[in-house]
Amino acid sequence: MFGAEFPSPVLLASGTCGYGQEYADLIPLDEIGGLVTKAVSLEPRPGNPPHRVAETPGGMINAIGLENPGLRGFIAEKLPWLREHLRRAQVFVNVVGHSAEDFAAVVRGLDGEDGFLGYEINVSCPNVKGGTMFGTDERALADLVTRLRGCTERPLVIKLTPNVPDVGDFARICEEAGADGLSAINTFPGMVVDIGRREPLIGNRSGGVSGPAILPMGVYATWRARQTCGLPIMGIGGIRNAEDALQYILAGACLVQVGTASFVDPGAAVDVHEGISKFLAANGVARLEDLVGALRSRPGTGPAIPAG
Amino acid sequence: MLSAGSDVAVGRATPVSRRAALLSTRLVARDTWWQEFDCPDIAAAALPGQFVMLGVGLDEPGAWLLPRPFSVGWTGPGGEVGILLRAYGQGTRALARLEVGQTALLLGPLGRPFDTAGADVECVAGGVGLAPFIFLAAREAAAGRRVRLIYGERDAGAVFDPALIARLTDHDPELFTEDGSAGRKGLVTAGLDPASRALLLGCGPTPLLRALAAFAREHGRRLQVSVEEHMGCGIGTCQGCVVRGADGRWVKACIEGSVFPAEELDWGAI
Repeated sequence: MFGAEFPSPVLLASGTCGYGQEYADLIPLDEIGGLVTKAVSLEPRPGNPPHRVAETPGGMINAIGLENPGLRGFIAEKLPWLREHLRRAQVFVNVVGHSAEDFAAVVRGLDGEDGFLGYEINVSCPNVKGGTMFGTDERALADLVTRLRGCTERPLVIKLTPNVPDVGDFARICEEAGADGLSAINTFPGMVVDIGRREPLIGNRSGGVSGPAILPMGVYATWRARQTCGLPIMGIGGIRNAEDALQYILAGACLVQVGTASFVDPGAAVDVHEGISKFLAANGVARLEDLVGALRSRPGTGPAIPAG
Repeated sequence: MLSAGSDVAVGRATPVSRRAALLSTRLVARDTWWQEFDCPDIAAAALPGQFVMLGVGLDEPGAWLLPRPFSVGWTGPGGEVGILLRAYGQGTRALARLEVGQTALLLGPLGRPFDTAGADVECVAGGVGLAPFIFLAAREAAAGRRVRLIYGERDAGAVFDPALIARLTDHDPELFTEDGSAGRKGLVTAGLDPASRALLLGCGPTPLLRALAAFAREHGRRLQVSVEEHMGCGIGTCQGCVVRGADGRWVKACIEGSVFPAEELDWGAI
């Protein structure tokens, strides 16, 4: 997968594991599949005012504002630790930008460094030139992926946004533009109102909703992407346990990412892997690959049309 | 299964994640419970001012999953960790409903503790901000020292059982209620002594911390405060729990605090 060995099919999702070091004392990082770093932008970003997070039914909402030390800070302060401490776990660097130039500059700046496998491109952010999100604008997304493909030969994974009519269309665009894989799916836009103050609870007013509440939407997005393209997919959204992860795998994901669940239990990613192994043994499945996209069709149901 | 290693922060123990049984729980005031968990690792390592993330874990099917930060309220000789829990919403109510023998997930000890290093200490607590000072006063009493403990609540119904405070800490708090229904009438800040030079420690609602910061500035007093902000992870990964630092940076309450010397924070923005 992506030209590398993954010790486990379960990775830690971007934004929920920092740059790895924070979890080193709590879980055996080299026994998980790997991690996707907190987003890295060209310049440092201070992030949003509080509140940045709040719990919601079955999950949480966050608007951190992509706080990060920037490309140079990441290379100087964060990447050395990853390079020195992770032997088997695979690292994807999550990259964010407000223009295609920004994204390309980060990828070019990182590409000569050791200590990571590939990139996960966060297209759920506004394009200052286009006025829309890269991930919701077919043309902007195609141009961005094409441009980044020209900057690197490392695995290039695009993290899709669910905020589109049909994720399948955007998955196909990524494949045609030269991406190596997809992460499905990013958070859903949401809002929480403080009824006492009659204000949005979150400092940024709106934020991204994650956690078990979005599990079926993530599974659906994975299934749609699998129908329209042949790229390997990392399934993400609301995974708490092996059963949740296996839904993604049957829908078409070959790896999964655990995010919000790590906040609930830092050992969640380890437990999900153990649970998957038990399921395979109990069901006489030799390899996880045998389950990837192995969804059986149900007779008597209609054509696979986009929901909504 | 979760392993421990070295910690980057000098003097602080490496946090551990443990599933711990609830040993006892009692209603100590309106909507307020004192819970003791069987968690020797955290009990042995925790310092006053540090906190734990407490949650039910991933096995529960309920809608409210995220752990919440609670000051370590006490540690017992048998490895008990005491928590003062006030139910504000559905998540804290779910924790309050835990029964003896059921388990919860504790992650800790977390955060920067109070730094009292031999100083005379005055603790100013608003509401469940009392919790870290129960722990501090108990530790000080065990070492043969005394602290001044000033405790304010809205009314008598909210006051944490004074007999239990006395048993846990060997201290009798000076009590204030806003309506005068228990202790002296007034805000807890009415108990501040302008002539004292003791180190002030504050924990409670933001308006109280702001008033303490103003008092400390006016009277040239050293002050450390334990701040609260919505928290996702407790270990610095989610970057959710920021407050504005005096240098203009967003500082993370979970790992850079939750205890801050007052001069490290921008009180105009808190």
